[in-house]
Parts: sequence; C-alpha cells; structure tokens
Amino acid sequence: MTATATSTLLQRALEEVVGREHVRTDEGALLTFSTDATPLEHGHPDAVVFPASAEEVAGVLRLANERRVPVVPRGSGTNLSAGTVPQLGGIVLVLTRMNQVKEVSSADLVAVCEPGVRTLELAQAAAAVGLLYPPDPGSQSTATIGGNVAECAGGLRALKYGVTRDYVLGVQAVLPTGEIIRSGGRLVKDVAGYDLRRLLCGSEGTLAVMTELTLRLVPAPEASGYGMAYFPDLADAARAVSRVLASGILPVTLEFLDRVCIGAVEDYAHIGLDTSAGALLIFGQDGNPAVIERDLERMAQASTTEGATSVRIAESPEAANEILQARRAALPALSRLEPLTLLEDATVPRSRIAEMVDFIQEVAERHQLKIGTFGHAGDGNLHPTAVLDAADEGAVDRAHAAFNEIFTRALELDGTITGEHGIGISKLRFLEQQLGADHVALLRRIKAAFDPNGILNPGKLGS
Amino acid sequence: MSTVDITPHDLPERRSVFTPELLDRCISCGFCLPACPTYALTGVETSSPRGRINLMRALETGVLPDDDPTVNEESSFCLGCRACEPVCPAGVQYGALLEEWRDHLWNGRRRPWNVKPLLWAVDSPSRVRAMGIVRRHAGRSREAPGPVNLMLGCFERVLYPRVSRDARKLAPELAAPSAQGCCGALHAHNGELERGRELARDLGAALPGTIVTTSGGCGAHLAGVLGAARVQQFPQWWLAREPPADGATADGAAVADGAGAGTPAARRLRIGLQDSCHLRNGLGVWREPRELIARIGEYVELPSAAACCGAAGSYSVVRPKDSARVLDPHLDEIAAADLDVIVVVNAGCYRQLQQGVKRRGLRTRVVHIAELLAGER
Repeated sequence: MTATATSTLLQRALEEVVGREHVRTDEGALLTFSTDATPLEHGHPDAVVFPASAEEVAGVLRLANERRVPVVPRGSGTNLSAGTVPQLGGIVLVLTRMNQVKEVSSADLVAVCEPGVRTLELAQAAAAVGLLYPPDPGSQSTATIGGNVAECAGGLRALKYGVTRDYVLGVQAVLPTGEIIRSGGRLVKDVAGYDLRRLLCGSEGTLAVMTELTLRLVPAPEASGYGMAYFPDLADAARAVSRVLASGILPVTLEFLDRVCIGAVEDYAHIGLDTSAGALLIFGQDGNPAVIERDLERMAQASTTEGATSVRIAESPEAANEILQARRAALPALSRLEPLTLLEDATVPRSRIAEMVDFIQEVAERHQLKIGTFGHAGDGNLHPTAVLDAADEGAVDRAHAAFNEIFTRALELDGTITGEHGIGISKLRFLEQQLGADHVALLRRIKAAFDPNGILNPGKLGS
Repeated sequence: MSTVDITPHDLPERRSVFTPELLDRCISCGFCLPACPTYALTGVETSSPRGRINLMRALETGVLPDDDPTVNEESSFCLGCRACEPVCPAGVQYGALLEEWRDHLWNGRRRPWNVKPLLWAVDSPSRVRAMGIVRRHAGRSREAPGPVNLMLGCFERVLYPRVSRDARKLAPELAAPSAQGCCGALHAHNGELERGRELARDLGAALPGTIVTTSGGCGAHLAGVLGAARVQQFPQWWLAREPPADGATADGAAVADGAGAGTPAARRLRIGLQDSCHLRNGLGVWREPRELIARIGEYVELPSAAACCGAAGSYSVVRPKDSARVLDPHLDEIAAADLDVIVVVNAGCYRQLQQGVKRRGLRTRVVHIAELLAGER
C-alpha cells in the first residue's frame, strides 16, 4: 500500500473517533504543528487530532497502537526542549479542547481540571476563592496545565513553594494501549500502589496521556513585597543569598541578572538600571505584612553586609512592579539583540551559582558568543541565554559547543542538565552522562512497561 | 512515517516576499496565542499569530506555494487586530508582516471579490469627497488647512458625519478642508501596500501640520507612514489640549443629564468602551478614552473591551460570518452589563456594534467618543 493510501485510511479512522472537523491533514496545518517553542527542531506529522474527552483520547491511542503510528501529545506548544516536536511523524494529539476547570474546592483545597486549561486560568480560578496555585512558569499565560505536569514545570516561586510535582495529587491518564487509569486523587496522604502520578509528572508525554488532573492548592498569601540590590560581582550576590537563607528566611523570590542581562534590559526598557553593576539581585517575600517588612529588611541587611553597592525596598505596589520588570524584561531584552535565541536551564546547587556563571562567561568569550545569564538564585536554576544570527551557521555550531561545556560543568558541580525545561530532543544526548547507563536502561524498561509498542512520543525519554 | 525537513533553516534561499528583519524576529514562544481572537475561536495553532508566521516562513522559503489553500485561508481569516503585538516579548511587528503577506497573495485575482468595490470607492480623493457631499460632516470645501487639521475619514464622513462635526464643535480651531482623501489603511490592509502608503502621503500633503484623527485604524496607518509626530488621536489630543479639572465637568453635560436617553437625571450613565485595535495595539492609546468617559459617567470596563469586535476594517464585509462570531461575546457582555452607552473610537467598530446592538434589540446606544464629549444624542 502506498504512503498516501495509508495516510488516507488513518485519517478516516481518526475522523471516526473525534469527528471530521477535529482532524487536520492539510499541509499548512501539519506545518504549524511541526514545531514548538524550541528553535532549530522540527518534524512533520501526518495528522493533527483534537480530542474532546478521555474516551476519544483512548480511541486515538488504541488506533495508533494497532497501526504502530507515533503519537505526540501537546498543549499550547511552549516546550523549550522540543518535547512536542513530532520528529518521527505520526499523530499530533492536541489537548486544548479539553479546557474545563471542573472544580475548585475550598474544603478539600484542590482544583480538578482538564489538561488543556491554561495555567494562568487555573491560577485565576483558585485566586477567585482566595486560594493559590503556586507554580508560575514564565509561559503560564499560554502554557497548559497538562503540559506543565508532563514537564514538571518550575517557576519563580520554587524555593518557597516547590514545583509542579509538589501540587499533583491525582491524575487520570490514558495508557498508550488505550486503558484509562487513575492514580491518587483528592488526598494528601495516599500510599496505595506505586506513586504513578509522580512518575507521570515530568514523563514528557512518553508514558501516558493525562486527561484530568487534581491539583493541590494553598491559601493565598495576604500580601507580597519586593526589594533589589546591586553588587559589584555575582559572587557577592551569591554570598548574600546564602546569608539570607542561613538566617532562617524562606523568601518567595530570589532572582538575579548578570552584567550582560542588566545592560541588555537597560538598553531595551530604559528603567534606570545601574549598568556598572556586576549583578542585580531581586528579592521578595509574601505572607503577613509584618513578616514581609521584617524579612525584606533582613534581606536588605544581608545584601549590604555582603557588599551591595545599593539596596532598595519597594514602598508601593508600583515600585515593586518596577523592580520585577527588570527580571521580566530579561528574556525580551536579550531576544531582541539577535534573530536566534537559545534559552537553556542548566541548574546547580545554589552555593555554586557564582562559579557556574563565571564559567558561562568564560565559555561565551572563548566561543565568541553573547550569552546573558539570569535565573532563580534561590534554587540555582540558571537561564544562560545565547543570542545569535541564524544565518551565521558557524555561530549555531559554536553555541552547541559552548552549551556542551556548560552542561558538563553543571554536572561536575552536582547540578543537572535541565532544571525545568525537560529532556525532549534537545538534551537527550546528555541524559546518560548525568544518569549513567544503568539508570537509562531502567527508564527504558519503565517506558516499555507502559508502552510496549513505543508509540507515545518516540525517540525521546525512555526510547 | 515521513521525516521531511520543512523549516526555513534548511532552505536558506528567500523569495523576498517578506522583510527578513520582520520575519526573523519571532522566537516561537507562543505568548501571542491567548491574545489572538481567531485562536480563541478555533483553538488551532494554524489560526494563531505564531502559526501564521510559520506559514509566512514556509511561503518565504517556497516550502508552501502561493496557492496553498491553508496559506490563503489564514491570510484572510486573520483579523489584523494586532492584539499579538503588545504581548510579544520579541517585538514582532505582526501588522507589518500581515500587510506584506496580503500584498503578495492578494495582488490580482486572489483578492476577496467583495473588498474590491470598497477599495475602488476610496482610491481617489474626488470620489471620497463625492461620497460625503450629501452628508453634513465637518468639512468645508474652500477651507485652507491650518496648523492642526481634522481628518474626515472616507467611510466615516459618509456613515457618521456627526463625529467630525462634534469634534469640531468641541475644538473650533481644528481645520477641516474637505479636499482630503482616504488615508489608505484599507488599501494597505487588503493587499495594496504601496497604494496605501501613497494615499497616506497624499493626505499628509493635503493636510500639512498635525493631523487629528477620530478613527484608530486610520490613525495607526497614517502614523506608520507619516511618522507618529504628525498624527494625533482625538482622545489623546483632546486630553492634552484641554485645561484639566474645572472645565472637565462641562463635557457631555447633555448626555450626563440623560437627555434623549430616557433616564432619570440623577442617575449617572453606565458607559462602556470598545477599544479600537490599532489605536490600542498599534499606538498604545487606551487610557485616554477611559479617562474621558469617567468624567462623564460611570465607566464600566467590559471583559473584552480590549479585544477586537470583529469589524477589523473590511473584515466584516469580507467574512461576515466570522466577524459575527467575534462580535458575539462583546454583545453578551454589553447585555449583561446593561450599559446605557457603549463608546467607540473607530468608524468600523461604530458600524459593527451599531448593527450588533440593533440585531440583539439591546437598549444600549453606540456613541463615538467625540459625540459623547460634545454631549449630543
């Protein structure tokens, strides 16, 4: 049978499951689902399918499993490691039609929702009843909760509140062979069986397709406050962070920008940053107003003690917003310097941040690259961001070489190749270096137990 | 399964359909998706700004041909509202890309048939002038341009002549020679980019000095061609012109008293606003009309005030069904808020909302900001 005939048969079968208007096979549509937010990576799917229920997802997976067709689940496609790129073709399974927040319970402190709900929408639904869904990845306005759980997304509040995995209480998921399972539920304590909901969180769409999520919520803090400090050098800022944490404070925000980022942000946003500084530390606390005031004061003190050249505490929400704008503008400012932006997320223990950032600068100079680093000083999650001209092919190769060195160095410092973006396609070749051969072999056996025919997001984690 | 490589990076040859700096800007982060009305309607990436930029890239590199049905459908389905621009971290000028896209695709037979008569009507200043001749707009035929001139618009002077009349009533120093043509926005947005720019330059020559516009769509196009320094939007200009505080309450006294509205004089009117997309997303003017409305009545911010109403220039003519789908949630909100008045700042939105409100039988009146300030109706 010809490839075209196979495709047509597949299309007909998919249309029977989800309805004709929810299958796209036109070349233009296929093209727009061939990429995600990762530069330089792309595939070419054979069909894009938009199911509306767990049963429809199961129908699509059974069909794909019978025919051994790859299936790549996807939400809004904001992935930064090419995790939703259909590199082996097949079906892109888009879950954005499943977009209902089914319940927000103040009594049980949970939200129950479908995977296609945008993370910000979920956060707003929780906020409407005085609750907080803490994980706040940079893409929260666009990204879906299903994608966040599949990638175990982080965010700016991770030091104090943890990451997505700390909020997944229960999942309903469809196995690649078509069965629908549930793991966990509305309970904080539940040890019946292996913790599959945790296994699925961060499984990057390679084990099962999640069709409903039960997420833990916490009471919303009363208020929040912010401050900032300039340091001559990032090492000084890092010592200030250590001093803050040693003093018994757990801040909600500890973000930093390096010298390159400060310059880029000021050139772009003109918000009056001190471009002579070596590092900018942004600190924040939430909770009771009295506690906020005390903690901000202590963090300012710790900064001064460690050599901050100037320290400022925001007196008003507007002033706080100005401070946060410096951090928010980091990626936009860097990305405007050149057409191609490579955003990475190597992560090290927070005590090694200064060492790591110095190394990144040294590597950038050696490879003649412009790399700015910003990130989460509280949890060691760095975002070294290389900006380059896509037309200069040499630059892409040099950037890859530089990041190879950066990942290797992160591992030497007891860090990880990815703090929150995931393995996807981009980091797969570094995975064994971090985990070792035995560990990777175990991942493959787990993958095979879920997905005997290897149809779900093949060529990535566990393949 | 196939593994055909199809992104631009593999095919560096360009066809020069698009300005490279504009097309290369997008970093594919997807932050534009929740801002896009057609993505909200469909939930399909292909009908989002990022999806459309990927289609443009495929067109640019020849991966998809000019007659690809999806490429053509999406170039037309896009409202051109530019809501994707303010939320874009990389500063993509999507509106400019859309103009280049349509300029390439729609030149000749692929232009939607129903937009052709519109373009013809406004293509020459004398035709525009003739269209307005029976209407009592603010224009004077022998008047010489002054330091600050009021743009009369093309369709606005025919459909809503009171807008320019009220603007002039408020600010008699505005000169309004009727020997002025169309600004060219309609051309630029419908595949005749160069003609659109030419018309803007002609209008700039006919009205030397500052041009004050009462339509966001025209204002943004003029500012793009003539430079932002030459063009002022009426709400913005009026706020800067007027003495603040004391004189403010005089605005719209008649409306505030409930004249013609059948409301008790004591009750403050509940007034909403429909932003003009290009005024807000193209020129960043959105606080000003809100501030002006709040002086006259109780300002009610509708959830979709900033989102496109579906008029989108000629969109309501070219794609009436989609235009109505985009409008529907706005009408729901106007009905739910039980507004006395919904204010518009663009001629296209005026027509769109007026027809919608009438179709639904709502009691809300549609009023241009100049009319509201002049206190008529």
